[in-house]
Amino acid sequence: MSEIKKIKNLKEFSTSADRFEGANLLCPGCAHSIIVREILNATNDDLILGSSTGCLEVCTAVYPYTSWDNSWIHIGFENSSTAIAGAEAMHKAKKRKGTLISDRDPKFVAFGGDGSTYDIGFQWISGCFERGHDMMYVCLDNEVYANTGGQRSSATPIGSSTVTTPAGSHSYGEKKDKKDMLSIMAAHNAPYVAQVAPNKWKDMIKKIQTGFATEGPVYINAMSACTTEWKFDPADTIAVSDLATDSLVFPLYEIINGTELNITYRPKNIVPVKDYLGAQGRFKHLFKPENAHVLDEWQKRTDAKWDLLQRREEARV
Amino acid sequence: MAKNENNGWNDFDIGALLFSFDKETKNIATTLQEDRPYSNSNSFTASVADWRVMKPVFNKEFCIDCQFCWIYCPDMSIISRDKKMIGIDMDHCKGCGICVEVCPTNPKSLLMYDEHLEDEEALIAAWPAKEEK
Amino acid sequence: MADKIDLLDIEVWDGNMAASQAMRQAQIDVVAAYPITPSTPVVQNYSTFLANNQIDGEFVMVESEHAAMSGCVGASAAGGRVATATSSQGFALMCEVLYQASGMRLPIVMHVVNRALAAPLNVNGDHSDMYLGRDSGWIQADAFNAQEAYDLGLMAFKISEDHKVRLPMMIHQDGFMTSHTAQGVKTLSDDVAYNFIGEFKPMNAMLDLDRPATHGVQTEEDYHYEFKARQHHDLMTFAKAKTQEVFDEFETLTGRKYSMIQEYDMEGADIAIVCMGTSVETARLVATDMRTKGIKAGVIGIRIIRPWPFEEIKEALKDVKAVAALDRSSPNGALGMLYNELAGCLLQNAKPSILSNYVYGLGGRDLTKDNIKQVFTELKANADTGKLTTPTQQWISLNGEALNFF
Ligand SMILES: Cc1ncc(C[n+]2csc(CCOP(=O)(O)OP(=O)(O)O)c2C)c(N)n1
Ligand code: SF4
Ligand code: SF4
Ligand code: SF4
Ligand SMILES: [Mg+2]
Repeated sequence: MSEIKKIKNLKEFSTSADRFEGANLLCPGCAHSIIVREILNATNDDLILGSSTGCLEVCTAVYPYTSWDNSWIHIGFENSSTAIAGAEAMHKAKKRKGTLISDRDPKFVAFGGDGSTYDIGFQWISGCFERGHDMMYVCLDNEVYANTGGQRSSATPIGSSTVTTPAGSHSYGEKKDKKDMLSIMAAHNAPYVAQVAPNKWKDMIKKIQTGFATEGPVYINAMSACTTEWKFDPADTIAVSDLATDSLVFPLYEIINGTELNITYRPKNIVPVKDYLGAQGRFKHLFKPENAHVLDEWQKRTDAKWDLLQRREEARV
Repeated sequence: MAKNENNGWNDFDIGALLFSFDKETKNIATTLQEDRPYSNSNSFTASVADWRVMKPVFNKEFCIDCQFCWIYCPDMSIISRDKKMIGIDMDHCKGCGICVEVCPTNPKSLLMYDEHLEDEEALIAAWPAKEEK
Repeated sequence: MADKIDLLDIEVWDGNMAASQAMRQAQIDVVAAYPITPSTPVVQNYSTFLANNQIDGEFVMVESEHAAMSGCVGASAAGGRVATATSSQGFALMCEVLYQASGMRLPIVMHVVNRALAAPLNVNGDHSDMYLGRDSGWIQADAFNAQEAYDLGLMAFKISEDHKVRLPMMIHQDGFMTSHTAQGVKTLSDDVAYNFIGEFKPMNAMLDLDRPATHGVQTEEDYHYEFKARQHHDLMTFAKAKTQEVFDEFETLTGRKYSMIQEYDMEGADIAIVCMGTSVETARLVATDMRTKGIKAGVIGIRIIRPWPFEEIKEALKDVKAVAALDRSSPNGALGMLYNELAGCLLQNAKPSILSNYVYGLGGRDLTKDNIKQVFTELKANADTGKLTTPTQQWISLNGEALNFF
């Protein structure tokens, strides 16, 4: 296996040469890009990359420009996982036969949005993980179909106003809570599953490097604050992300071999969930008196999930 | 590589394929941008400067080279070399303002200004003083 | 290293085994496939080869046909030899990716064992799936029997992988009638077969780590049209020329002759049936009978469906008085595809043949020699009177009242 890149601190990290390029078409302040940068910069290995249809894809490969400095493939909305699994299988076959063009072993990484991951591409990802391809799948979780204008996905959290679950006189927005994708992926006996957030770069890099060093399928759920659909100022992407991790709405943890759960970040000061919600336009209506119960519900659920995570960590299940 | 919309159908690579570089590259992960043989289909060669309404201005004087701006810039526009922040790539900066928000110095080493204010030296000369907290 | 198999000069294989053996001999790097009747045995045979160390490549047993084609696209873009097999609902499920595979110019070979499309659910042979793929940008070849499934199964790699062509290729065979009917198949030895196909030569491979390439970009109105024009152009010129070239090479090697359209008893023919699949063989038998009775009947089997052999068909039919297009797919509100395509060819002939359309065999309904005889008889009446004596479209062997909408 190749050497793990040394990243002692941010200064050292900043000597990385980005392999994801500017003048892509992502919105100013888009967290997708910050996530991709951190992942690509976490290794010096060659990479074979794939993206499903979604913001990342439509903003980085619009003819005649590509923003990718490694080989990259897009097929459709549901199948970046399987495209990369196919490439990984090809590498394996050619290596066995001795017909590889290059003598280095690349890492295989597929990206997909939450729509692509939690919804339409779910089966493809499940298949790849069950078969055990040596690849990393990264979900850029912005909790909405951003590329197509903000429709709900099964990662959309309760109370969020989307264009298909709009808040109105008789609705507080999305009614259901998001699917627990990490547990589902852990239940595939994946050797490594983790939730990351780009604002906690150190935690994230460590997990990505662990992922790259792991043989077999690795699932990374990356929180991606979307300035356009979450409705906050582009300058606040990191501030909103901090609120998400510090309110424990996006707890940072990993699950090893399907069972060993480790919480990797415990905020010194846990902030109230309503501070996180209040920073985003998609939850604005929850602050009307008639929706107070949803705010309460939010806090309750967040506490309960955190409690469960802690108990799972202790019980190693 | 064809860039002109008026190019004929027979001017393109099959499969609408795009190559990132003009020449073979080894170890691209350790090759700095200035040393890469970018092809003109690499978006590195394009500019989104006209997206900006506000632009970040960098004042070296207060910078502690913490690299927060580098890691959080979504557009690879903070130029760091040898662990030092040396400037902003104004072709790729979209003016989001994240770098300013995350800059920890007091006063900040990066501030947003109207895109049309041209005289950066004057802006730096009139840099705000340390803020009392 | 995979173990070789010592094949007899003539093996008793059904169409599925013929396809599987051609795949094995091609030393494919990655097969990603999913079982569905009647192509399931291709997947099973391949698994058996794998279990017996007769295959070196990867066999990715995916969870659906959409994933099968997605995996094939990823593997092919990575740079290596790729193939799969499917039928019917599986074909329909992978439809989205078929267009992506051809648009991305990836040389994937696929055996399509033709079967009806639900609803109602039906496992038997017709050409609904074949027709569904006809605008997908793939090269489509049709095998009328197991021997041809084997031969075309070898030739396909050579055609599809050519650097000017770089288009995926389907080889069709009839579900059950071909796929499950054993016949004597003349074989090539493993070495001769592989040497004929040749080594895979990578092009724009993602695994060429020193030349990173972006596959599957977006093009909007400024470029999309030109890319599609390029694809059409390459299909019509490079793919067509290469197909003929490979057919010729194959003939030199084996003595078995292939061409864009297969003409049987067409010399001086007054009447002709144009059809595909196993029906070609049935029609040939009847045409030969007809000839002994002094009726100048002939048959044209469409070997290459895409790129459509327009000039070849025009030429072959230019002196034929009456022609029947036999379509084995429900036309659902139109004349059959073959009828329409043939009409386009005939229109440009100085004396266009009288053209009629027969729908037949949906969901595995038999097409008998008597059925064909009836068609020839009606064609003869058309030829003799110089006009259409039947409705334009008829449904062969349909129970109940006749359907005559055209
Ligand atoms: C088969 C198919 N169905 C629907 C679409 C339309 N579509 C494209 S991207 C997208 C949403 C993407 O959402 P997500 O995966 O969350 O990515 P994001 O844009 O939010 O990053 C949709 C609905 C499509 N391209 N293909
Ligand atoms: S809509 Fe959201 S996810 Fe999409 S590019 Fe804009 S900020 Fe990024
Ligand atoms: S304004 Fe945004 S894009 Fe520009 S340098 Fe700062 S963080 Fe980067
Ligand atoms: S964040 Fe501020 S202090 Fe830190 S490197 Fe950037 S400009 Fe300098
Ligand atoms: Mg999304």
